[in-house]
Amino acid sequence: MRRIRKKNKGRADKGIPLLLSIIAVFCVLGTVVFSVSRKITREMSTAAIQNLSESLNLIQCTIETVLNKEAEFQKLMALEIARGEDPESAILAYQRNQTMVKLALIPAGETEGISSTGETFSGEELDFSSGWTVDGLEISDSYLNYMGTWAYSIRCPVVKEGEEIGTLYVEYTYDSLDRSLPNKFYNNSAMLYIMDARTERFVLKPKGMGERSAGHVNLEDYYRANDIREQEIRDEVEECVRNGKNFMFYHEIRGKSALNYMWAVNGGSVYLTGYVPIESIQQEGKTVNQNILFVVAVMLIAFFLCCVLYYFNQRQQNRIRIEREAERELHSKQLTEALQAAQLASNSKTMFLSNMSHDIRTPMNAVLGFTTLLDRDAENPDKVRAYTRKIMASGQHLLSLINDILDVSKIESGKVVLNLEEFTLNDLVSSVDAIVRPMAAARSQEFHVEVKDIKHECLIGDETRVNQILINLLSNAVKYTPEGGNIWFRIIGLKQRSSQFEHIRIEVEDDGYGMTQEYLKTIFDAFTRAENSTTNKVQGTGLGMAITKNIVELMGGTIEVSSEVDKGSCFRVDLEFRVPEGQADKLFWQKSGISRILVAGGLQDGKNICTLMEEMGIPVDVVSCAEEALGRIQDAPEGYAMALLDWDTSEPGDIRTVEKIRKALPQTALLLLMTAHGADGAEQGVESGALPGALPREEALKMANTGVLPKPFFVSALKEKVTELQSGAAGKREEPSGGEESSLEGLRFLAAEDNEINAEILTEILTLEGAECVVVENGKMALERFGDSAEGEFDAILMDVQMPVMNGYDATRAIRALERGDVATIPIIAMTANAFAEDEREALHAGMNVHLAKPIDMELLKKVLRQCIPERGSTAAERSQ
Amino acid sequence: MKSSVGKNRNKWAAVCLAGMMALTVSACGKAGSDLNLVESQEGSRRVVNLFSPMEKTDPDAENTARSAADKTVVMAEEKLGVTVGYITYTAENYQDRTYDEVALDRARNDMDDIYLLNPDVIQALGEEGKLRDLSDLACAENLRDVVRTANTVDGKLVAIPQEVVAYGLFINKDLFDRYSLELPETPEEFLECCRVFQQNGIETPVGANRWWLETFVLAQAYADLYNGGNTEAEIAALNSGESKYSDYMRPGFEFLQEMIRCGYIDAEKAYVSEAIEGEGEDFLSQKTPIVMAYWGAANTETAYGKTDFNMLVIGFPSSRGQMPVMPMTGYGVGTGAEHGEDAMQVMDVILSDEALRIYAETNRVISPSRNVEVECVPALKPLSDRIQENVYVLGANAGMKMEQWGNICQVVRQLLGGATVDECMEEIDRLQQESLAK
Repeated sequence: MRRIRKKNKGRADKGIPLLLSIIAVFCVLGTVVFSVSRKITREMSTAAIQNLSESLNLIQCTIETVLNKEAEFQKLMALEIARGEDPESAILAYQRNQTMVKLALIPAGETEGISSTGETFSGEELDFSSGWTVDGLEISDSYLNYMGTWAYSIRCPVVKEGEEIGTLYVEYTYDSLDRSLPNKFYNNSAMLYIMDARTERFVLKPKGMGERSAGHVNLEDYYRANDIREQEIRDEVEECVRNGKNFMFYHEIRGKSALNYMWAVNGGSVYLTGYVPIESIQQEGKTVNQNILFVVAVMLIAFFLCCVLYYFNQRQQNRIRIEREAERELHSKQLTEALQAAQLASNSKTMFLSNMSHDIRTPMNAVLGFTTLLDRDAENPDKVRAYTRKIMASGQHLLSLINDILDVSKIESGKVVLNLEEFTLNDLVSSVDAIVRPMAAARSQEFHVEVKDIKHECLIGDETRVNQILINLLSNAVKYTPEGGNIWFRIIGLKQRSSQFEHIRIEVEDDGYGMTQEYLKTIFDAFTRAENSTTNKVQGTGLGMAITKNIVELMGGTIEVSSEVDKGSCFRVDLEFRVPEGQADKLFWQKSGISRILVAGGLQDGKNICTLMEEMGIPVDVVSCAEEALGRIQDAPEGYAMALLDWDTSEPGDIRTVEKIRKALPQTALLLLMTAHGADGAEQGVESGALPGALPREEALKMANTGVLPKPFFVSALKEKVTELQSGAAGKREEPSGGEESSLEGLRFLAAEDNEINAEILTEILTLEGAECVVVENGKMALERFGDSAEGEFDAILMDVQMPVMNGYDATRAIRALERGDVATIPIIAMTANAFAEDEREALHAGMNVHLAKPIDMELLKKVLRQCIPERGSTAAERSQ
Repeated sequence: MKSSVGKNRNKWAAVCLAGMMALTVSACGKAGSDLNLVESQEGSRRVVNLFSPMEKTDPDAENTARSAADKTVVMAEEKLGVTVGYITYTAENYQDRTYDEVALDRARNDMDDIYLLNPDVIQALGEEGKLRDLSDLACAENLRDVVRTANTVDGKLVAIPQEVVAYGLFINKDLFDRYSLELPETPEEFLECCRVFQQNGIETPVGANRWWLETFVLAQAYADLYNGGNTEAEIAALNSGESKYSDYMRPGFEFLQEMIRCGYIDAEKAYVSEAIEGEGEDFLSQKTPIVMAYWGAANTETAYGKTDFNMLVIGFPSSRGQMPVMPMTGYGVGTGAEHGEDAMQVMDVILSDEALRIYAETNRVISPSRNVEVECVPALKPLSDRIQENVYVLGANAGMKMEQWGNICQVVRQLLGGATVDECMEEIDRLQQESLAK
């Protein structure tokens, strides 16, 4: 993390110079653009001033030309008048035009004369004191003439024959000049006045010159209206006007920067006065600057776009980098965790090995120790038997240890595959009950089995693994519950999430030692075991719970545990099993003639039966006691084909009621007495009278169509009982033939076993049983030996799996492939240390008949052989005779 | 993730390239293929010259009245395709020839086409036959009767205004309130107000110029004549010489005399002051509580359109209460106008209801058209109410043989110049005789 921060800081450090560089580039660019813009503006301004000057020069020249022409014409007129005989008549005859609006002549030596309007003209109103001349003729100051317009007069001497006979005054209006001036001046945005220089009066505002809404009377009014208050400017203007010079200056006009001008005409007798807004002068410059700004703006936008793209790119790369770093960090963390887990596992396994060393050495010590004792006390049969039992127990424990270790190994390596097949809860509970009940009984513990709300008894699942779960949980409960304690085993039907699946909760509860909260956190971890002064005497691998949890999860279920020290523990396993289709065996009930059932006794039992029979379509009536049941039956004697009475809650006096019930029921109807102590227990209890409320057996069972049904039971058990009673086999017990069961007398086996000791053990055991065994070292030899044998020479082949040269599977396949009459029928029994379900499946798949795991259980071997070769047994006996 | 970033980058690059291409293509565009580079060749555009006074512009203010008139002129230019050239004249000082004098000269010499004229000039030019009869213009049909009457000379409608000019007293209501003065109704009340102001340190309560003092005289002279119900008979008596104008005018002159004597008016200053220029600054700076001006001055910033105090415009004091004086300026077309027909068309546009509405809405004035009504600014409410009640005095009436507006103005100037009231009455009698002799 610190390294990342350092890296980030490093990048930030790199970013600042980059930013400064960009700013510097922008500053340089801005300076260049500003300089270029300023230069262009300056040059354009100079050009505009020059342009304005030229325009004003043009106007100036135009006006001066008009004035000169007027003067020239006036001279001609003076000549004409001088030539005429009556000058006054000539004056009076003049018709005014737009330029010369009045003529007047004052004869020489007189103060008054005549004007073209017929009035007396004295010339006193005219002011020629300024001394301005046009083409050598004097020009007056401007004045407002009789037409209400600004005018000026030019006087010209009338000379006749070298003698001045008078003075000709001609009045001109400034309006006439307007016709010679352009109609537009800077697109009407410029203002132009013609100003009389002496009076500073504006005498003409040519049309199209400036705004119509603005008007100025004189120069002072122009200053006022345009807010030109700078005395320096005014003085300069005055100086220029006095000297007949031109003047141009910048000043704002109505908020806009403008170029103001005073442009002398006719040597300064009149001035062109006004202004041109800068924006009108520098229109091109403004456009150029705008274009430059536009280009700069486009470049800036492009630059910023690049920056943005760069930024996003960088951000993207940073994000990827951060993600990678996070990923690396995660990996690192995972590796650390894995390392820790590995270390933990290693520690656990070290501890496990230590435990195993102890756990394996303990029974091994027992085996070896008792073997030594056996050798010493071989002559004492009682001691030999006692030692042998203890050696056997130690061996069994050693075997369970090995099985668990192998199971964990298998599960952890992910090689466990569930073997999904149909199974019934009845068989499951029965088998578990058969195993656990004796264990509990051995420790004087009460083992309670409860089943409720189960709708489907027959399910699809891996029965072996479920069995393993239950055995693990229950055997633990037995182990960790002191003598005289209680163990409850409950199978509860939960609400179905889908009609195709049965949702089951398995509860295993005890009132034993319990566990601490700390231990509960690790109870499902492998190689852990509760160790305390109370439990450390208990043998175990510490793998049971881990195996259980893994199997439960493999089945998609959940397991949880609650426990309190010295109060007991409760394990809850929730599992879902698929319900096989077409399970409702209604036909059986129709055939057996049972259409209605009466249940008397525990309400929970009644409810369970209702639930179980619901799918069969058999209505179940539940009553609380035998008396009530009797009443029901008497009310409808033909209504019930079967009645179930709770044996455990009955009173001794109830036997009479049972008899009455029996009598009240039809002869063919079945009466079943339900008991939680199993058929044997019930019968034993009945016989001994040890169980509370138990009824005398003889009296109960001597009744026709009456039998005992162990609780809890499922439909299959009920069906079995019904079949048993209806077939008349009730009460009859098969008495096993001890001679047939234990003897392998006369049988001949071919055994493939590479381990000499195992081969010897096998040979000795079989010999003890009266059988003969031919041992070969591998599969190939077995194949050859069998191939060489005569048909019927061997009754069965006992085949190890892992052997050199040829393994058991291949040998079996090869044997089955031989062309002989008995290859298909000869039993081949796998006898191998490969004890997993997969191994069994593979063995069967290879063609073997049965799979037996080592070490060899002789009783089991005999049972299997008896099942595989029943008739051959007799054949062998005959052969032996 | 990477591919989406790449796609976005490609999109941006494509957009940038497209933009650059568009700029490049637009920069390569051809300006045009014509060999003649002259952009436009204007033909001989019709021109109509309009002679009008030009108020001196102010650098920080807008001449609303001029803007309003200009809008109507632009409308005419657009509709008719003519160019209206503005010819203006403004006297530099009191020694200069007046606008009216110049207007008379210009009209008599046919210098322009359209003239904006004061009532005395309208009457003079009308009597000389120098103004065209505007009766046939479409815009003339909607004129209010008072406007038509005031501008009809010898049966000819010689001028039509864009606004009915009403003169009133512009008062600083805050100062009146400060001294607990009621708005004056009669000349006596007015004098009392002036006395109170003077007593409170305002030496010259009334700001005056050389043009508009006559309004006091006219208001007192004709309050009864125009509002007494016998107007025509009284005017007929004056036109026949049976009655003398001097009899009507005397109270007003005596009132002005009293004002001058008491110093309520600075006669010397007024004699040389142009309208608004002389007294406006003091009024706006609240040194002078009372000035006289025309309606539009209350709307335009170059006059009194923007004051820092509560301003009200009321009528002049008279025996019949506050009395507005309405002299009626107007546009006339010269008989010998060089562009007479175009001028008549321009008149028809700038005096149409549409143009008058624009003018009235811009300048918030009373329109001469009976079809145009606009709400006046609050300051003008008292004056407007009186006019709405038809209580007013005409400052000019072409039906009177003796021109009123110009002549009385001249005589008032004589009073300002030191003449006695009797001398002024003699001058009025002379003018009446002169007019009767025509």
